[in-house]
Amino acid sequence: MKIEEMNRENEMIYSGHSACPGCGAALAVRFLTKTLGPNLAIALTASCWSIIAGVPPLTALKCPILHCPFPSAGSVGSGLRRGLNAKGMLDTTVVVLAGDGGTFDIGLQALSGAAQRNEDYIFVCYDNEAYMNTGMQTSSATPFGARTNTAPYPLFKEGQKKDIVQIMAAHSIPYAATATVAFPEDMENKFKFAKELKGFRFIHILSPCPPGWGTESSDTIELSRLAVSSGAFPLFEVKYGMEWRMTTPLEDKRTPLGDYLGIQRRFKDIDSERLKILQEEVNYEWELLQDKVRRSEILK
Amino acid sequence: MPPVMINQDKGYSFGNEPISVNKTGEWRFLTPKKIKKLSPCSQGCLLDGEIPDWMEAVKKEEWAEAWNIMKRNNPFPALTGYVCFHPCSENCNRGQLDQELDIQAVEKKIGLWRLNNYKHETEPCSFKGRVAVVGSGPAGLSCAFYLTEAGYEVTVYEKSDLIGGMLALGIPEYRLPRKVLEQELQLLKNKGIIFITNSALGSDYSLADLYSKYDQVFVATGAWVARKALIPGEENKGVWNALELLSAYNRSKIPDLKNPVVVVGGGNAAVDSARSALRLPGVNQVSLVYRRGRIEMPADQSEVEAAEKEGVELIFNATPRKIETDQNQLSEIIFDYSKTNLNGLIIDCNKSFKKECKTVIMAVGQNADLSVLGLLDEAKTFIAGGDMISGPATVADAIRAGRIAAETIKSFLEGLPGPLDDPKEEVPILFEELNLAARLNMQPLKKQVDPVSEAGRCLGCGTCNSCGICYLFCPDLAVDNVGGRYEFNLDYCKGCGICVKECPARALVMEGGSE
Ligand SMILES: Cc1cc2nc3c(=O)[nH]c(=O)nc-3n(C[C@H](O)[C@H](O)[C@H](O)COP(=O)(O)OP(=O)(O)OC[C@H]3O[C@@H](n4cnc5c(N)ncnc54)[C@H](O)[C@@H]3O)c2cc1C
Ligand SMILES: Cc1ncc(C[n+]2csc(CCOP(=O)(O)OP(=O)(O)O)c2C)c(N)n1
Ligand code: SF4
Ligand code: SF4
Ligand code: SF4
Ligand SMILES: [Mg+2]
Repeated sequence: MKIEEMNRENEMIYSGHSACPGCGAALAVRFLTKTLGPNLAIALTASCWSIIAGVPPLTALKCPILHCPFPSAGSVGSGLRRGLNAKGMLDTTVVVLAGDGGTFDIGLQALSGAAQRNEDYIFVCYDNEAYMNTGMQTSSATPFGARTNTAPYPLFKEGQKKDIVQIMAAHSIPYAATATVAFPEDMENKFKFAKELKGFRFIHILSPCPPGWGTESSDTIELSRLAVSSGAFPLFEVKYGMEWRMTTPLEDKRTPLGDYLGIQRRFKDIDSERLKILQEEVNYEWELLQDKVRRSEILK
Repeated sequence: MPPVMINQDKGYSFGNEPISVNKTGEWRFLTPKKIKKLSPCSQGCLLDGEIPDWMEAVKKEEWAEAWNIMKRNNPFPALTGYVCFHPCSENCNRGQLDQELDIQAVEKKIGLWRLNNYKHETEPCSFKGRVAVVGSGPAGLSCAFYLTEAGYEVTVYEKSDLIGGMLALGIPEYRLPRKVLEQELQLLKNKGIIFITNSALGSDYSLADLYSKYDQVFVATGAWVARKALIPGEENKGVWNALELLSAYNRSKIPDLKNPVVVVGGGNAAVDSARSALRLPGVNQVSLVYRRGRIEMPADQSEVEAAEKEGVELIFNATPRKIETDQNQLSEIIFDYSKTNLNGLIIDCNKSFKKECKTVIMAVGQNADLSVLGLLDEAKTFIAGGDMISGPATVADAIRAGRIAAETIKSFLEGLPGPLDDPKEEVPILFEELNLAARLNMQPLKKQVDPVSEAGRCLGCGTCNSCGICYLFCPDLAVDNVGGRYEFNLDYCKGCGICVKECPARALVMEGGSE
């Protein structure tokens, strides 16, 4: 992403959208559309982004948006792609944009079906780790130990965050990857790579949410960076469910998880025991991932 | 509300009016603002140079802009580019990442660019008054430059036949090419500055004479009176004083020195004499003897290292007692062991040694000659500066003195408040405070030979260097890229503060209120 060459004219998003101050999802979609646009069509499920996108006749994006019912994203994307193909618009990129609720939970069935059929589009999940638009309810993307409005004090989210990329990789789709807003270049590379492929592509973007996480709006990038450096949200990609590869050079010097959680009010009352469990979970997932990466290297 | 619109090109579209009609800047209760904080290099710079600012201009190859910023503090970057001891680089934050910036190399490039591009620089100015400057060293030249820029007619009086003070007579050509000095002086002449050489204050005219013709006078006659070591044999034939020798050397009047040569002293004059002596025909044995330890030498250490590399023998902790003569020729010089302690210098006469020599160069310091001022008239205020007032210092100190003198004279004559004596109390931005994590893909990079690439290494500590990170991370696209510089668009800024937090240079702050 050559910053010098960027200006308002060649961005795909308009100022004036109604995302909260410091919204990671707004930034994620700004990077997404900048890389995949301008010949781009988006199918969008119910989520914060349904609001950010604006109410017709106003729009926050310079590309067409097709709003669709909450659980249907995977299927609407398939239809949109086939419809465009039928009209001969083969070079229009189709993106399905969904929140974590619309991906991990309610949209999972349609998503799995589309992935299994290897439909030709890019499914992007911007993950703010809860149902934020309806008031911060727990989703299966909410990390263990966090407090939400369906798990208020003294409760907290039980059970670990669903490993969505592993699920998608298990569909043996051509491409699955993680990305986050503090690393726009990494994200750009992944979108560029995905764009050139055919078949089902899945990109999971961690998008910090200041009101939902109880964080300072100015900390969005810092949180995204800490999520990566602590290993809570590793940056990697998987090709055909087999070739696993890390994409950031931060692996060897992971920062303490406490630095990442410490600036989020949703983890305010986390005790040392739960922190330990969470750290162990992160460590375990990390090792599992490294193992896959190592094995992929041997297979090569 | 318009009905659903069908976009013929795209085939479908629900509404395509930009949402920018919503001025989301109204949500804001804190506002980002660009500021400037002190960088360690500017703090170190003897001239308070706005280093990150001109680095930024050089990075974009905007040379005229670089010169315009430069001259606010330093009118002679080519000269300082060659001879300044560059304390600016000492605490450069980049040093903690890979290697400090070669600030002086970039400065020199700006200076040389100017010399090559402003051959006939004459700036129109309104006539505001006449000022006399006495002494054409860096202090006098700098004062003349700034006063001319401000609309004064300046006449510089110089005792010697050469213009430039120590730049012409003290600093040897191998460290400061005379072509550079000549070009610099030519530009000053082109500016309209009048030079009168072979004209000494005190003997040819008095301060009162100058006051009868000029509105103000600046005196900067330097420190040229050689101090004496007060030892027997000091007046013998074969004993030179350093400035006398260097002046001759710099006029290409090759002095006839006899091998071996001993230089006594540890300042710039001592080191330059030793290095110059070694360059003379028939001289191949030069020793420099200093009464204290190496790190206590007032000379710049890089100069000392250069002397050592060229073959000058360095001897420390020795004070001269006596210079001996044999058959009308110097034969040896006797030294006693000496060292510094809390009470000053201790000399131990029981530990002494002899050094064979046919030439001795005394470089044990210089004083100012204040007698040139004559009897001072209390009613007149005159301004003096440079080595004359501070004692032997540096070219940059002298330039600074000249600049402050010019400001003071202007304020006198124009009835304005004088320049503030602002001690640099502000704490500079530390390396740890910078947010280099936001600079994507930044790799360690050592010094670059090309000045533009070197300027590109500048982290812009405390000053915006147009890295664009604020633009990149703004979720609201509320930072505009205006020709490579970044400005806030407050119509849409929601005041989230990401830009402030991420700015690698720490050049932004959040301020209360929505405006
Ligand atoms: C050998 C040597 C090497 C040095 N090297 C360096 C260096 O590498 N880097 C650095 O930063 N500094 C160096 N210095 C120090 C630096 O040169 C001086 O600090 C600086 O030149 C002082 O500037 P000035 O204008 O105050 O005085 P000067 O440069 O001494 O100029 C004073 C001028 O006044 C003239 N003058 C004297 N009396 C009268 C009179 N009665 N009437 C009219 N004119 C008169 C003199 O002829 C001279 O031209 C060096 C000094 C010496 C001696
Ligand atoms: C079938 C259905 N159930 C519930 C809703 C209400 N609803 C709208 S957005 C939303 C939350 C979406 O959460 P997520 O997908 O994580 O996106 P986010 O709002 O967090 O961006 C819900 C529950 C709906 N629109 N449709
Ligand atoms: S990196 Fe640039 S601004 Fe920072 S101290 Fe070094 S020269 Fe000065
Ligand atoms: S982020 Fe970069 S461009 Fe923006 S204010 Fe800071 S230094 Fe300037
Ligand atoms: S990042 Fe954008 S919206 Fe946030 S304070 Fe800066 S300019 Fe304003
Ligand atoms: Mg969500």
